[in-house]
Amino acid sequence: MFFHIVLERNMQLHPRHFGRNLRENLVSKLMKDVEGTCSGQHGFVVAITGIENIGKGMIRDGTGFVSFPIKYQCVVFRPFKGEILEAVVTMVNKMGFFAEAGPVQIFVSNHLIPDDMEFQIGDMPNYTTSDGSVKIQKDSEVRLKIIGTRVDATEIFCIGTIKDDFLGVINDPTTA
Amino acid sequence: MARHRDEYDDEMEEEEEYDPDQAIDEDDEEEEEEERGGGSRRPSQKRRRSDFIDDVAEEDDDEEEEEYGEDDEAYGGGGGASRKRKNKRPSGSQFLDIEAEVDTDEEEEDEEGDDDFIADNAPDLPEEEDGRRMRHRPLMQEDEQEDLEEIERNLQERYGKSSHREYDEDTTDVDQQALLPSVRDPKLWMVKCAIGREREVAVCLMQKYIDKPELQIRSVIALDHLKNYVYVEADKEAHVREACKGLRNIFGQKIMLVPIREMTDVLSVESKAIDLSRDTWVRMKSGTYKGDLAQVADVDNVRQRVTVKLIPRIDLQALANKMDGREVVRTKAFVPPPRLLNIEEARELHILGDRKQDRMTGDYYQTINGMMFKDGFLYKAVSIKSISTQNIHPTFDELEKFRKPSENGDGDIASLSTLFSNRKKGHFLKGDAVIVVKGDLKNLKGWVEKVEEDTVHIRPEMKELPKTLAINEKELCKYFEPGNHVKVVSGTQEGATGMVVKVEQHVLIILSDVTKEHIRVFADDVVESSEVTSGITRIGAYELHDLVLLDNNSFGVIIRVESEAFQVLKGVPDRPEVALVKLREIKCKIEKSFPVEVKYKHKVSVKDVVRVIDGPCEGKQGPVQHIYRGVLFIFDRHHLEHAGFICVKSHNCALVGGSRANGDRNGNSNSRYDHLRTPPRVPQSPNRFSRGGPPSNYGGRNRGGRGHDGLVGTTVKIRQGAYKGYRGRVVEVKGPNVRVELESQMKVVTGKSRISCLLGYLCIFMGHNISVMLAVDRNCISDNVTVTTPYRDTSRYGMGSETPMHPSRTPLHPYMTPMRDAAATPIHDGMRTPMRDRAWNPYAPMSPARDNWEEGNPASWGASPQYQPGSPPSRAYEAPTPGSGWANTPGGNYSEAGTPRDSSSAYANAPSPYLPSTPGGQPMTPNSASYLPGTPGGQPMTPGTGGLDMLSPVIGGDSEGPWFLPDILVNVHNSGEETTGVVREVLPDGSCRVAIGSGGNGETIIALPNEMEAVVPKKSDKIKIMGGSLRGATGKLIGVDGTDGIVKVDDTLDVKILDLAILSKLAQS
Repeated sequence: MFFHIVLERNMQLHPRHFGRNLRENLVSKLMKDVEGTCSGQHGFVVAITGIENIGKGMIRDGTGFVSFPIKYQCVVFRPFKGEILEAVVTMVNKMGFFAEAGPVQIFVSNHLIPDDMEFQIGDMPNYTTSDGSVKIQKDSEVRLKIIGTRVDATEIFCIGTIKDDFLGVINDPTTA
Repeated sequence: MARHRDEYDDEMEEEEEYDPDQAIDEDDEEEEEEERGGGSRRPSQKRRRSDFIDDVAEEDDDEEEEEYGEDDEAYGGGGGASRKRKNKRPSGSQFLDIEAEVDTDEEEEDEEGDDDFIADNAPDLPEEEDGRRMRHRPLMQEDEQEDLEEIERNLQERYGKSSHREYDEDTTDVDQQALLPSVRDPKLWMVKCAIGREREVAVCLMQKYIDKPELQIRSVIALDHLKNYVYVEADKEAHVREACKGLRNIFGQKIMLVPIREMTDVLSVESKAIDLSRDTWVRMKSGTYKGDLAQVADVDNVRQRVTVKLIPRIDLQALANKMDGREVVRTKAFVPPPRLLNIEEARELHILGDRKQDRMTGDYYQTINGMMFKDGFLYKAVSIKSISTQNIHPTFDELEKFRKPSENGDGDIASLSTLFSNRKKGHFLKGDAVIVVKGDLKNLKGWVEKVEEDTVHIRPEMKELPKTLAINEKELCKYFEPGNHVKVVSGTQEGATGMVVKVEQHVLIILSDVTKEHIRVFADDVVESSEVTSGITRIGAYELHDLVLLDNNSFGVIIRVESEAFQVLKGVPDRPEVALVKLREIKCKIEKSFPVEVKYKHKVSVKDVVRVIDGPCEGKQGPVQHIYRGVLFIFDRHHLEHAGFICVKSHNCALVGGSRANGDRNGNSNSRYDHLRTPPRVPQSPNRFSRGGPPSNYGGRNRGGRGHDGLVGTTVKIRQGAYKGYRGRVVEVKGPNVRVELESQMKVVTGKSRISCLLGYLCIFMGHNISVMLAVDRNCISDNVTVTTPYRDTSRYGMGSETPMHPSRTPLHPYMTPMRDAAATPIHDGMRTPMRDRAWNPYAPMSPARDNWEEGNPASWGASPQYQPGSPPSRAYEAPTPGSGWANTPGGNYSEAGTPRDSSSAYANAPSPYLPSTPGGQPMTPNSASYLPGTPGGQPMTPGTGGLDMLSPVIGGDSEGPWFLPDILVNVHNSGEETTGVVREVLPDGSCRVAIGSGGNGETIIALPNEMEAVVPKKSDKIKIMGGSLRGATGKLIGVDGTDGIVKVDDTLDVKILDLAILSKLAQS
């Protein structure tokens, strides 16, 4: 789920960036530092949409670095248990398949794939129904439900299922 | 008991014809006897009964001892009473348990006994008899169809079935109380006897009793678990003495009375914790099936036997042979593999079994050669002692086999639930989600609120239920839902964590966090946890993801640690080969990893990111984890097999981005070897130099970039100038200048806390591994700051040599530098950027140089760790020394030394002996053409540099390298052979005249310095000092401390601590 929230961060800036462009430097450094990161609480920071305010800088003894408290608005993406997501399949193997929904990697175990879909090994490993009408392979788009998340410092990993009503392939690259 | 009586009645039908009268008569007699004192009443009774009452019945008698008097009557009368009842019962009820009624009967009889019950009973008897007959006849007819043996066996079977257990179950506490011995009862005496003769003694006493009925003892008990004693039951001690008289195995002097209170303990069976019930998993302790998992099918507590269900290990062919009466060749070693019996198969081999029905269960068994089979399983009756019941942890494989194809669901649960008995204490914790698996509340979910001994209080999920329910632990099982993150806390997968993807009854399928594989575990073995681990990650000295050398000289990366073994991805490129390896099959861990060349001549070391551009793993990308024998182990996060490891040939890979080995790892060993490896790359061809461009080009980048920042805070050692040897922390890097806060002696130096080091060269140590040369001198600034760029270095060399004003320049520096450069150069050439990183990379090849600097003592440069005499390679390194020393030698040799050729050979050769991969390097020729077999391109040594370097020692003039001297023992490598010799004479050109043989008796040859290495002295060896101010002195090595040797110098008797590298063993003369 996406959220637009305000976060705060202390940015350390090297004195060489002081001057007219201090603010720009600060913001660009913030973007560089923050975008794409992941925190357990908020999930992935997708983009910074605005700066609320920049506090007064404090010079740190000894280094000359200045730290600025910055409040910024950003879009974060945090998957939740039970959430329905659409994701792109990135890898298929006999244990299931991996799909990505933006920065989040989701694993769908073969136990969580409908029983009528069977793993077909080959050049393009895939899960196919017995009549061949539905096929999950790399680059397929699937709709899945997250049943568990694991949040690391730098990564959110989810387990999903497509063994439920209205879940499964929504767009097949081969037919499209 | 009741059953026994039934049986006995059935059996003894004929007897019953006269039974009524006789019973009365006997009762009368007994009464009379009782009046007489009851002395020999019992024996007669026993003998009479012994015809038809089995042991069990007798036991019962014993137990009811205190009621004895009445009991006898009860038998007669009780029988009558129960018979009365039996009349009313449907005829099939004979097999029903009427125990309880009998008990009450007895009690009634007790009372009745006081009345004139005989009179009451007498009229009943005939009538009862008829009833019995009517009921019994048809049964007999049935039985008659089978032969007598069959009947006997049936009886045996029925008798054998545990009336005992039922008895236990049915008797209430009150009944039990009534049975307790009282003061009026005979006492129990403990009599000492010979050890191991307890049973014999009991039998002897019994015999004696039979022979002489006047003995007044009641019973003798020999307990299996009590050695040295038997118990004798008698009213008086004198009776016991009387009985014991004349028996040689009894030591009758001391007869102890067992207090009444303890009497019951004598006979109570120690209740072992084992409670065997059906479906429990056990393991066989002995025989063909030793270690096999078995399931209890039936328990016979009386005979201490259990029937277990096993997967048969039967060699059908052998069986067939045996049944055909053919010779059976007995091969002891061969144990047939467990396999379910296939009847069809057996039939083909003409093994015919009978189909029989089990009387008790009604199941049909196939009986072959005395073995009972059902559904392919073998049912075997074994002694309880031959199975082990504790800590049985069946594996999934084993359980799988036991699971019948048709059976699922319930059957599985039942068997699984029996596994719970093995769980540890404190299995349930407050807050655990649990599910009830047995009983009325089955499938009720809840949360643990409180845990008592065996009872777990749970808060049920259902609202209507009371707040908490107390449920036996055995009826509960942990409950998980898909998506839970759990940790496995026991079993083979112990320690692994993962997310539950599926719950099948009480088996969870978990997706491991680390291996991304499915793991099957019992719900009981896991706890909810947010931790991320892969399970055990180490056994012994080996850890997950270590590179290890295996027995057969193959190598691989540990990709999984199992409870007893490792899974190793073998170092076979392009074809993933995984081996299961036991701890003992691992030779050692490979720690070193040399940078290796990949496509486009890039050098790659550990941690660099490469992409596989060829072969089956094409497209994979990831950091290099290990390098060995030209094989890279790459870790690809997206590669799910083999824990993400891919094994590829180095030339199938291309470097991605720069080489960005990180500097936070302590890789002493690596760096050390890296250094050794460097020389091949060292030599920059002259044109390289020119191509390198002006140093300043690079300087700019380095100045501006992280390089400088990176320096800040690092510990450095000042290499040259007045503050040479001082260590300090870089506080600022400003253009060419480095401000260093000296660690120790700031006061001594200036009194200021910070010194601007405009004094000369700095040697910077990053972490503890890397040395970088920095010139803080204005002139040298840009060049030296960018130390890492090869070109710079070169230029610096030039400068070094050009600027005689650096008087402190020591000869070793030049030596070191090239190496470092060497290491650094190729990389830089290759990828430009990494330079700086390299510098900070502990694995970077330049580290050795730093080691040297760290010594801070020019004289001991040879002693820096990598030259440690302990390691052969280090010794080899000394080869170059002669060259240098010799350059120093007064007599104007230095001019020669200055010749590029020599110098290059001197130090270029040195490393080569270390290079395992360049065998060609071994026999060194002075002009060093051979020193770089691997890298032909690198060969041409910069003449200018070399020359200048060689000169510098002369300029400095304050150092002497280790050095061959006459009379020392050396190892001479000549044409691939290694021989020991004694240096007889050192020739002006650095080569030595060496007498072969440890005593110097052999022929004399002329060996080049690089063909020799001094023999490392051991403790208490006589040594000669090859370098330093004491050069030439002899002494005795009285101790070794790391790289230092403690030497007692012969002349002065001083004890000196000198570097081992400059010590060499003196030849015995």
